[in-house]
Amino acid sequence: MHSDALILLSAADSRPMYQQIVDQITARVMAGDWGPGQPLPSIRELAAGSGVSVITVKRAYEELERAGLIHTRHGKGSVVADRPEPARGRLEGELSQHLRRAIDVGARLGLDRSALHHRLDVALEPTPEPALRSKGTDS
Amino acid sequence: MTAAFAVSGLCKRYPEFALQDVDLSLPEGQVMGLVGVNGAGKTTLLRLLTGLAAPDAGSIEVLGHRLPEAQVAAKRDIGFASEDMRLYRGRSLDWHIELVRRIYPAWDHAYASELIRRFDLRPAQPLGGYSHGQRVKALLLLCLSRRPRLLLLDEPTTGLDPVARAEVLETLADVLRDEGRSVLFSSHNTHDVERLADSIAFLHQGRLVAHADKERFLDNWRRVLCLGGGAAEVSGWPELAQVRAAGSQVEIKVRAWSEDLPQRLSAAGLSVQRVDPMALEDIFVTAVRTGGAA
Amino acid sequence: MNLNRPVIRLLILKDWQLFEKQLAAYVLAGLGALTLLGLARPWAFYLGSLALIVVVVAAACFAISNSLLVERKEQTLAFVMSLPVSPLDFTISKLLGNLLTFGVPFCVLLLGTLVVILSTPLPDGLVILATLLFGHILLAYSVSLAVAMQVESEGWNTFAMIGSMVLVNPFLMALGQIESIQGPIRQDAIAWSLPAALILGAQLLVSVVVLVHTAWWHGRKAAFY
Repeated sequence: MHSDALILLSAADSRPMYQQIVDQITARVMAGDWGPGQPLPSIRELAAGSGVSVITVKRAYEELERAGLIHTRHGKGSVVADRPEPARGRLEGELSQHLRRAIDVGARLGLDRSALHHRLDVALEPTPEPALRSKGTDS
Repeated sequence: MTAAFAVSGLCKRYPEFALQDVDLSLPEGQVMGLVGVNGAGKTTLLRLLTGLAAPDAGSIEVLGHRLPEAQVAAKRDIGFASEDMRLYRGRSLDWHIELVRRIYPAWDHAYASELIRRFDLRPAQPLGGYSHGQRVKALLLLCLSRRPRLLLLDEPTTGLDPVARAEVLETLADVLRDEGRSVLFSSHNTHDVERLADSIAFLHQGRLVAHADKERFLDNWRRVLCLGGGAAEVSGWPELAQVRAAGSQVEIKVRAWSEDLPQRLSAAGLSVQRVDPMALEDIFVTAVRTGGAA
Repeated sequence: MNLNRPVIRLLILKDWQLFEKQLAAYVLAGLGALTLLGLARPWAFYLGSLALIVVVVAAACFAISNSLLVERKEQTLAFVMSLPVSPLDFTISKLLGNLLTFGVPFCVLLLGTLVVILSTPLPDGLVILATLLFGHILLAYSVSLAVAMQVESEGWNTFAMIGSMVLVNPFLMALGQIESIQGPIRQDAIAWSLPAALILGAQLLVSVVVLVHTAWWHGRKAAFY
């Protein structure tokens, strides 16, 4: 099986499954695993490969399309958008917004700069991810 | 597009139970998850869909065949496995394969061999020596290898250990590759349904209380945590399935979420702390406890 | 009404495969009983005929309970019903399958009995008694089979099987009361009296009617449940 058609979903993840798919594909595009113009696995292929329903993958692709990260040509499947930069800009904006809110809340708790740094480091510690689905057949 | 099955006005009465006025259809190529507590009518519905039982009222069409009249033609294209179905204990899997292969011309020998490997089954051993999980996998193998256009599975993962369950689910997911094949499966395990189903049908006390595509179904529900004293005021709102207060903390399970709900809640004196999506399991339990309206 | 002949044939073959070993054992046991019978000594005759009746009755009960009652109880019935068969196909396959699985040992033992009687010093007139005896078991078998196809209750099925089979004893005693049957048994010529022929005819007729009625009854049903 092509490892492209595999999304690692976790039942213990509180995000809905379509959101996990959106996040993982976004991460792959941002990391450059999937370059502009690269065809995405078909919805059915990704669904079968990851053991998740077709409708969930469809919804994830719709969200990715709305975010400008992928393009869907009718009848030809989806490809990574030529310039996923707008998507990147949007995500950057989202990140800044979250950071500002974190700083606000930190201020209310009376945390200083180094305490905030520490909290960020703690949050970044890799938490053991429970119940990753393992696939015996993929490459 | 043809429907894998379509039933309307379906009624079936037994002395202690009645399936009442069910309208339901599954488009070809989709997976439907059937949920409901024991005795909700899941097995009755599946029996009607295989032509094993005749309805007291209503119509059943499966893969274009009217049931139960055309059950022979329909069953050629149906793979049906139920929890209460057993194979012959004294005979081997090979013997069963030989029997079933001669009945279904579309039998896929290569796929059967692959499933024997994947499920780690010993085909020459009498099935009396198989574990429960192995017997379930053998039954599924017999259903899947005939490449049916419609798979009807009653509790396919019940009683399986986690490894066997994962194998069965992966194999079911493989069926999705072919857009001409459809699946209806009932399960107590809502995680399996949440994962694999395109649509969810929810039976309660013999009635179909909800049927929607899964994403929309899950999207309607939210768990909202609030602070404040307005619990009594909002508890009668129709879109709220359940309101529980613990001190000043109020947990609300919403059955019909809308974006303006947090505003309306805060107008009622409840400040929203967090809003989370709900797992199907939680939705299911909430819906059953609050009378089945989903 | 269309019958799904290929699947019916496979289901009959399946029942045959499931029971062939045990039925062969019944035939072997029956042949042992016939050997005793053939010794033509009083003690061997009584022992042999008793053993023969036990074996044929056991084979009848075995065929019915394994093809119908055990299948229901072990839930393999659900598997069979999921195959492309209608209730009528299923009934026909069960009736024919049973007539085969029981019919083969029954015919082998009936023929064997007749051969033993005719080829040994036993009076040939015994052929009439033996035929009526087998006729009774056939009738009891047909009734038990019909009940098993109709009634799910294990208790009633056991009652029907044992009840109809043990009636063989009063039946033989009643035959002993009829002079026109009792007389020719001891002779070396086979003389079918009218009462004997009528009894045999009635046994066969009722057996056929019961089985045909069962097939018709199930054939009307559109679904299994």
